[in-house]
Amino acid sequence: MTPLVYVFEEQVRDLLSQAGDVRLLDGVAYGFDDWTVFHAYTEKPSFTPSGHICPCVAMRSDATGFVDEEKLMLQVRSRVDPDGGPIVVLLVGTGVADSPSCRALVLTEKGVAGADTRFVPRRSELFSRNTGLLETSALAEKKVVIVGLGSGGSPIALELARAGIGHFTLIDFDRLELGNISRHVCGVNDLGRYKTLAVRDQLLQKNPFAEVSTMEVNINQALSQVEDAVAASDLLIVASDNDQSRFNLNQMSLNNNKVALYGRAITRAAGGDVLRVRPWKGPCYNCIFSSGLIDGREEEMSQKRQALAILPAYVEEDKINTMIQVGLSSDIAPIANMMTKMALVELSRGIETGMSTVDEDLASDFYVWANRREEAYANWPRMGFKWTHPSILRWYGARVDRDPNCLVCGGHLEEEPAT
Amino acid sequence: MGWSSQQSTRLHLEMDILSRYFPTFFLKDSIIPGHAIIEGTLRSNAGHEYIVRLHVPADLPNSVPIVEIVSPVLRDRFGHSLADLGTSYPMHLLKPENGVVRICHYSASHWSPNITFSKILLKIRAWLEAYEGHLDSGYAIDHYLPHMTA
Repeated sequence: MTPLVYVFEEQVRDLLSQAGDVRLLDGVAYGFDDWTVFHAYTEKPSFTPSGHICPCVAMRSDATGFVDEEKLMLQVRSRVDPDGGPIVVLLVGTGVADSPSCRALVLTEKGVAGADTRFVPRRSELFSRNTGLLETSALAEKKVVIVGLGSGGSPIALELARAGIGHFTLIDFDRLELGNISRHVCGVNDLGRYKTLAVRDQLLQKNPFAEVSTMEVNINQALSQVEDAVAASDLLIVASDNDQSRFNLNQMSLNNNKVALYGRAITRAAGGDVLRVRPWKGPCYNCIFSSGLIDGREEEMSQKRQALAILPAYVEEDKINTMIQVGLSSDIAPIANMMTKMALVELSRGIETGMSTVDEDLASDFYVWANRREEAYANWPRMGFKWTHPSILRWYGARVDRDPNCLVCGGHLEEEPAT
Repeated sequence: MGWSSQQSTRLHLEMDILSRYFPTFFLKDSIIPGHAIIEGTLRSNAGHEYIVRLHVPADLPNSVPIVEIVSPVLRDRFGHSLADLGTSYPMHLLKPENGVVRICHYSASHWSPNITFSKILLKIRAWLEAYEGHLDSGYAIDHYLPHMTA
């Protein structure tokens, strides 16, 4: 099989734009599938790549001193010591209409083999449903803050990257542990890493040109830092696992007049809920929390740290352990998916993205997901074949108004804060 | 960084309510969030006085304030310092700091920004009655004050 080499067009253009006599340049490549596929980089990639590392050298074929491939290979062999592994050689130049061209060779102990070369398109060509990486450029300038990069927040981040959101701020202070993996978008090769950084790499795999900043902070202890990020965003997505953080983020959303989406699963992910806060126009998080709508819908506890944060110190270990009851990844997915849809609706306001009919349908600010006939839904009828009674595996929108007595957004405030 | 305008408004609201129902309570060191405290005296039905200190959280009103009984030094019916009990489920106590007893009034899972300091002090007032009941009877405080369901 002819080896296949993928190269970032942006990097090739950068190399070609360098003035002067560019000789051999050290890069890096990652090989897959018995060294038949390579991803080659002339510069350090912005994300953590996968594959087996091997040397890569690049040269401008129009550079002074370039004679022929045979001499080049001699130069390459003297330059790198691959321990018997392959070396990827990139010969970059200018083709038709000044477009960049790149020829790749793979040098092994057996000799030199020509490779098929393909470009990963540059930023301006990313957005094409048929040929590009992403479907649309409409949302490329949008900025999203996501707080909580666990089983709920991480798939939302990934879906928004797929949808072409161009700017992310990821906030979480947790590291990826073994118990997280089965419900998380990241895998065992990310164990021990900050969830923010591991998810950032996943986002950049989908959109290498996305701007992703991360904050490894406990938001309850870094309020002004987090509020600065919220103020600079278009949308706040809250997938954190405790009410204190949600209350604080609710205040930031109101202070800065930023729409916020909150999502959570209830115990064992028997269901969940999603709230959209339209500051000063609809109910805030505290209005919902105090409304009784979520009474009897205890939040899912997925880890000991989460339980310890809300329980008094005298609660025994056994009780804490019994509170940790998690659902499956497939139980969380509908909640993350609903939040993604609502995020896209909010981010698409005033932009043609095909979300307008969804916007018309999502008239409510508070949605409840019934997942299984357990916990809050234990007495519900079986789904069967009727459409006329409540059933699991459906979303229910609730009409909820602002609470005039809410001490966060209600009547005690004389006026909305200026933003 | 000082209190936000919303927090300042809330602090004024809290102090307005306290001035009506707990007039001995006053605000100290109010400029720096995380350092402000509210202190005052609660008097039990039996006429005993307790100095109570409430620490205003830096993220007011979004987390549970710490409440301490500053004086007198609280002892159980058998003469042992309550602070020496450490965290105590039957006595509704959290881990003491600097030998000062901290009362478990609302857990984080029951907290909401709609809860005012006045409501907290009402619970502390009830705790003090239960404490004096303990001194009389020997029953633990949760005999008089059942725990809120989780």
